[in-house]
Amino acid sequence: MGAYNTIAFDAEKCDGCGDCMTACATAKTGTTEISRSRIQIAGNAAEGFELALCRQCGDPKCVTVCPAGALGKDYASGVIDWDGGKCVDCLLCTVGCAYAGIALDAGTGHVAKCDMCDGAPACVPACPHGALKLVTTSRIYNEVGNWEDLFAPGLAGCQGCNTELLMRHTLRRVGPETVLATPPGCVPGMGSVGFNGTTGTKVPVFHPLLTNTAAMLAGIKRQYKRVGREVNALAIAGDGGASDVGFQSLSGAAERNEQILFMVVDNEGYMNTGMQRSSCTPYGAWTSTTPVGQGSGGMPSQGKTQDAKNLPLIMVNHRCEYVATASTAYMEDLYDKLDKAIQASKRGFAYLHVYSPCTTGWRFPTDQNMEVARKAVETNFVMLWEYNPRDGLQFTRPVDQPLPVTEYLKAMGRFRHLSPDQISHIQGKVVENLAFVKQMAQRQSA
Amino acid sequence: MTTAILETPNPTKPAKQKVVLCEGNEAAALGVALARPDMVAVYPITPQSSLVEHVAKLIADGRMDADIVDAEGEHSVLSVLQGGALAGARTYTATCGPGLAFMFEPYFRTSGMRLPIVMSIVTRDGITPQSVWGGHQDAMTVREVGWVQVYCETVQEVLDTTIMAFKIAEHHDVMLPVNVCLDGNYLSYGTSRVELPDQAEVDAFMGVKDVNWHVALDPLRPMAVDPLTGGSGGKGPSTFVRYRKGQCRGMQNSLRVIEEIHEEWAQRFGRRFAPLVEEYRLDGADYAIMTLGSMTGAAKDAVDEARDAGKKVGLIKIKTFSPFPVEALLKSLDKVQALGVVDRSVGFRWNCGPMYQETMGVLYRLGRHIPSMSFIGGLAGADITVGHFHRVIDATEGLLTNPAPIEPVWLNEKD
Repeated sequence: MGAYNTIAFDAEKCDGCGDCMTACATAKTGTTEISRSRIQIAGNAAEGFELALCRQCGDPKCVTVCPAGALGKDYASGVIDWDGGKCVDCLLCTVGCAYAGIALDAGTGHVAKCDMCDGAPACVPACPHGALKLVTTSRIYNEVGNWEDLFAPGLAGCQGCNTELLMRHTLRRVGPETVLATPPGCVPGMGSVGFNGTTGTKVPVFHPLLTNTAAMLAGIKRQYKRVGREVNALAIAGDGGASDVGFQSLSGAAERNEQILFMVVDNEGYMNTGMQRSSCTPYGAWTSTTPVGQGSGGMPSQGKTQDAKNLPLIMVNHRCEYVATASTAYMEDLYDKLDKAIQASKRGFAYLHVYSPCTTGWRFPTDQNMEVARKAVETNFVMLWEYNPRDGLQFTRPVDQPLPVTEYLKAMGRFRHLSPDQISHIQGKVVENLAFVKQMAQRQSA
Repeated sequence: MTTAILETPNPTKPAKQKVVLCEGNEAAALGVALARPDMVAVYPITPQSSLVEHVAKLIADGRMDADIVDAEGEHSVLSVLQGGALAGARTYTATCGPGLAFMFEPYFRTSGMRLPIVMSIVTRDGITPQSVWGGHQDAMTVREVGWVQVYCETVQEVLDTTIMAFKIAEHHDVMLPVNVCLDGNYLSYGTSRVELPDQAEVDAFMGVKDVNWHVALDPLRPMAVDPLTGGSGGKGPSTFVRYRKGQCRGMQNSLRVIEEIHEEWAQRFGRRFAPLVEEYRLDGADYAIMTLGSMTGAAKDAVDEARDAGKKVGLIKIKTFSPFPVEALLKSLDKVQALGVVDRSVGFRWNCGPMYQETMGVLYRLGRHIPSMSFIGGLAGADITVGHFHRVIDATEGLLTNPAPIEPVWLNEKD
């Protein structure tokens, strides 16, 4: 399967210094002639700078237009290679590329293009402003792409939902020696346990009750341990069942340090049953049981009137083997945590809390899921951290200069009705929660 | 209060049975240990607590090799065992009263998933009024949920039945959870001489464990357990009916299996208990009183005294309450002209005892009318004495000549 690592460019950070071009020219031609650099920065300070660089496209036009077969996509590395032995110097490729990513190198008389320096591009560390970044998200895909997808195609999730992605990746990672519990909610609603005896899940899967997921898994895991078999006990549960009615069994299993990996997919409500409020629903949010209306006595109904329960922090206070928050907008971070959670679940209770924006219930366009998830992190509305009893709590993706929370709120219909007072309440809570978690991070790592 | 009435050991089986002196809760724990479960989950509640304490101690002392889960409540107790059973474990727990009420959600589901979990109910009255003492209200309240429920009369029967319960539950024609009901206070704390079967004999009796052949959560044979079914389309309705009918068939099969296993027990260990319905001095009786559980000891004493006084009374005791042993009971009822039924709980809907209510259904099948009445006694730990049973006998005799009262008789109303 292909790798799709790329060099990302943040135009706002670029001041046109040219250090990247010097670094590239040095690395690739042994000269400092920036005209021979394969990365080119164009533009000026007044109008801004642009990047001319090979994007290592998945569907490369340069390869398509080349009449000599001199360009080809290496599906192992993801890099588009140029073969000097075949090239006839026609330069058609330079016309075909929309990114000016391949150009004539006057020094050699042939075209030249970025080859990613074998995975460690010289230009990236050369940038003094952090405007260039090697985006290696594709590492995940490289690793797991060949692993068996343990769900058959056709999970019936809502359009734009990230939960199918989460389920497929998680199961791939955990592997076939797994018993999967999917308590009532979106996950079985998508058909994980199937209907009338037909299922698309390739590992043993079951509906626990909404209330007893952790307890049933504990029984399963213990029996396999008793007979000396290594079987993973995995839950993919919703926030409602975990934070409300199923909290007792969750807390009990965590206290007993049962060897379970318990993943909560937090879409901040009972979305499968029609978007009702849960204790994980944030303050001010519209849900079907905290609707917006004119109210009575001059007191309008303006969404949920309480703040969300912070379930992952409560789990930290169980001193679980591992607790982390994660977001599908940051898959590398999620994967690292998934790996740690799997390992931790061999020793005791591991808890992973993944935020799952709900296109249907939160009311945003179906192509905005990752953007909403990202904005939640960039505003510190959601914080990404991990905890284990030895190292304490640590931020994995600290956001030092958060966007105002309105950048997150305005992305969704469920917050459309908010009054200025409500918005300032939410902003205040973001600051307060951040301070609280920071304090915890310092205290526990001290 | 009744004390244990021991059967005479079979002289052909002098056996390697040890004799111990213990309370009913300990007898249940000893029975559990002999049945060798893999997993026990516990949560304490009066009057069950000493039972799970005994189990915990047996495990701590190495006299029982089982994984014990001290769960955070009865709801999780049963849920842990469901998981264990689905992974192939033989499983056990005990509860009562409010604990059983809290457990109800997974309780209902256990029979639907056909998991052969054994659970003692150390029966306790329902709250409120607040009370911690014995009564059958807890077990009666859940009688319509697809569990096999058997009631014990003596401490020895508690021990023996607890072992038999595993074999009944795991019988391939049954595959249903079983409650062994022992009366809170009267059997739980009643101490008596008990014969302890030999482990090797019990092992031979139990045979090979095969708990999850029909439904499993096992990566070696992956399946989706309990997928969504029902509704009004596709295979939904027929699939749902198939599951439900299967449960009903398992319940009906259990009547035969309970008889077979009690017979096998009698052959092997020399103690014979009536599996479904026990008749006591019923031959030649004009009328009968009907009992359940430990009250039967005092009732038998009263019947003996009444017989000595020339009254033509007999006794019918129910052991297997769920499924209700309709055919067996019909045969007994066919021998009498009047019936008095003594319950240790109330049926709020019919203003009578629940066992009386069930029996009325059987009486309808008898094809002839016999007068009957309901007695309610022993609620919340109250004693049903031989004196009380003489009142029951006299009132039931009165049915032969007087019209039957509609209202139940509350035996402890003026105690």
